[in-house]
Amino acid sequence: MRNRVVITGIGWVTPLGRTIDDVWAKLLAGESGIAPTKLFDARFFPTRFAAEVKDYQLPEHLRTSGKHEEISRATGFALDAAHQAWRMAGLPMPGTPASAEVDPYSVGVYLGSGDAALDFDNFTRSALNSWDSEKRTMNMAQWGRDALGSFNALREIEQEPAMPISHVSMEFDARGPSMNCLTACAASTQALGEAAELIRRGDAEVIISGGAHSMIHPFGVTGFNRLTALSTFNEDPKRSCRPFDATRSGFVIGEGSGVLILESLDHATARGANILAEVVGYGSSADAYRVTDQHPEGRGAIVAIESALRDAGMQTSDIDYINAHGTGTKENDSTETFAIKGVFKEQAKNVPISSIKSMMGHLIAAAGAVEAITCVLCIRDQMIPPTANYSVPDPECDLDYVPNTARKAKVEVAMSNSFGFGGQNDTLIVRNFVP
Amino acid sequence: MRRVVITGVGAVSPHGLTSADFWRGLTEMRSSIAPLSAFDPATFPSRVAGQVPAFKTMDYVPKSYRKATKIMARDIELAVLAADGAVRDAHLATRGVMESFGGKKPDDTWFEVDSRRIGCNIGAGLICADLNELTSAMAPAQGDDGSLSLQKWGKSDDPGKPSGMDLLTPLWLLKYLPNMLACHVSIIHDTQGPSNTITCQQASAGLALAEACRTIQRGQADIALVGGCESMVHPMGLMRWTLLHRLTTTGNDQPGRACRAMDQTADGTVIAEGGSVLIIEDLQHALARGGKIYAEVAGLGATSSARGIGGPDPAGEAMAVAMRKSLKDAGTDPRDVQLIVPAGYGIPRDDQAEASAIKSVFASRQPEVVAIRGGLGDAGAGSQALDLAAAAMALHYQTVPGAVNCTTPVEGLHVPQQTHAAALEHVLVSTGSIAGQNSAVVLRRYA
Repeated sequence: MRNRVVITGIGWVTPLGRTIDDVWAKLLAGESGIAPTKLFDARFFPTRFAAEVKDYQLPEHLRTSGKHEEISRATGFALDAAHQAWRMAGLPMPGTPASAEVDPYSVGVYLGSGDAALDFDNFTRSALNSWDSEKRTMNMAQWGRDALGSFNALREIEQEPAMPISHVSMEFDARGPSMNCLTACAASTQALGEAAELIRRGDAEVIISGGAHSMIHPFGVTGFNRLTALSTFNEDPKRSCRPFDATRSGFVIGEGSGVLILESLDHATARGANILAEVVGYGSSADAYRVTDQHPEGRGAIVAIESALRDAGMQTSDIDYINAHGTGTKENDSTETFAIKGVFKEQAKNVPISSIKSMMGHLIAAAGAVEAITCVLCIRDQMIPPTANYSVPDPECDLDYVPNTARKAKVEVAMSNSFGFGGQNDTLIVRNFVP
Repeated sequence: MRRVVITGVGAVSPHGLTSADFWRGLTEMRSSIAPLSAFDPATFPSRVAGQVPAFKTMDYVPKSYRKATKIMARDIELAVLAADGAVRDAHLATRGVMESFGGKKPDDTWFEVDSRRIGCNIGAGLICADLNELTSAMAPAQGDDGSLSLQKWGKSDDPGKPSGMDLLTPLWLLKYLPNMLACHVSIIHDTQGPSNTITCQQASAGLALAEACRTIQRGQADIALVGGCESMVHPMGLMRWTLLHRLTTTGNDQPGRACRAMDQTADGTVIAEGGSVLIIEDLQHALARGGKIYAEVAGLGATSSARGIGGPDPAGEAMAVAMRKSLKDAGTDPRDVQLIVPAGYGIPRDDQAEASAIKSVFASRQPEVVAIRGGLGDAGAGSQALDLAAAAMALHYQTVPGAVNCTTPVEGLHVPQQTHAAALEHVLVSTGSIAGQNSAVVLRRYA
């Protein structure tokens, strides 16, 4: 006996905007949130564009305002997205009379959030000032003196990957299980899957789940540029991310947050909540192959997809839409296609597949959460967003990627894939809610 | 419901590189805290640390994987060592172990694992970039005012010379991703089952254990490598905890007495490194292969204090709820718990909050309380992993290690001053992290 898990609220902060319907309309219209980098001076970097959240400010009227000094961008995004989702779910804010009906220990938080940017100015200045160019090493005594006088304690601790959950838990007085996982690009899909498992077991009634991340900072972009994972299509940023296209040349770094309210069906029904969709399947695996590359035959991806199907008690023919990991790198898109064909066999060509990363960029740890929300919206509106910038077919990617134009389609069941650096694979299946 | 047992322990700690060293250090009531030697801490107010003795990671990976040790941050190396110790202790003939024995099992006491049925869930911390490595790349990219020029960092003005970022190894980023602990371990030992990386600071290992335990109970794996590792012994780590006022500044002359966990004279913790990886396994699976059983994972509880980093709730309410949840999950009563292994950082307000939680759950029938931080310091995401290893070994050897530096315990706590034999049925391991996540685990003697 396990509890059914439903989704009763969604919220996001993305490079395309900060309300559900606004962003959704842009995704269906094939708009791009990718533009020249503004968050730092990237004019001399190999990649000079990104999918940034524009003009971001922390939402006003936080219940615990005053307790969020020095928070990272990701924590701010998470608080905003969580507020949208909480409101949509119709859950009472702590401290209001209606909140007496919610046991704070039955409300958990499970995000897949990344660590935040270093305090760039203090970090680079103190390190360079302490560099002994003759010995080619740092003078640590000098650095220590400098660092203790210049770094800010709060700004340092706020870089920890557990800080988004810490702030969200405080804001909503969520005292149930509180977790953050950081499995690179698979993190928030994994968070949603594991959160659903906690509700299935009865360890929580409600979980604020999803993810938040920003790696659009000098060392984040440096890291991905050195890995040559990023697109360097500086001539036309809006066309830089081309998943499944033969000319694809890398992913585009994005930032943001997606938060979903997961709830046990009984809890949602008892309080008369509007149910958006049901989480029916989750699968997770490790490639155990290489730190840098996916298994060439998608070994781990196949296991994740198959175990999600088994968990949902479904056949491949039940899947109406696949929201692909679809990063736009040579390797990912062909491997993902190979894995989908490995599981779906001859049905693979009949399933519409799309990558919203073509428009939104890659939100890294937060990617899976915004993609899960996209699946919920596909089910709500019976519409599938396109894979933008698709023009040249690749013989290794020969499935239906919903090129360039959104499509009206029957979507009862949607699947979302996420694969992380280092070989973590996670698949989530959501279904139109049927009592 | 499948029962889950612990069948292997790998511990890397200031006491030594193996679980045997760790247990010897605990039972001999040693402090392995010493003057910090990893870098020059002269200008820091706290200059002691719990450092892991020297080792070569090369010696702990199969030959075919030695090249990969170049892209392992210290935290990853610790996890590789701990995992190696754990699988060997459990006699699991994983890919890595088989290769080291020339491609075959040494004898029939070793079990050849089904890679698809083994998972990996290792908690990790925020891994800092190596300061010397990064600064050596930044130095040639300084602008005229001495600060880092993003122009020179991104693009060299001389086409014959590398830019600043070009001086970093192409795989630089991968050294510092927290999930690389589990990734390298999963590759070395070919664990293809469910894999995750929980990043909840000191509470990571208990939460990772809980999650992996559920995957086994759901039937998605038979075995999992679980735990957590971290090195706080890094200039950035020392700087951060100094600014957060977590560290003792009075122990520099007497390192062995610096961390007085759960003692009334405590005045701060000590940075440390280490962690542990445990092998957890479906009971029937363990019995069928004749595995050694340390203890059963009986109950799990998790809560959040919902207070941000404003410090612990003095009443320890959320922590007490986590403890009660774990006891309820274990189907046991506070009276059946003989030993508690708390976080016991040696930070007065944190220790007081933990003591309040313990007293509210256990009332006057106090089990013994032993905080192992006193001899080891705080290794972040490795801390609760070591606590779990200590609890499993205490149950296995039916022995309570005496507390280190806790002669005047926080009022109301029953702290053993000597290592002694004891009939242990249940041990509770409980931790609250800096950011407010609480994790409680009840281990039970397997009989």
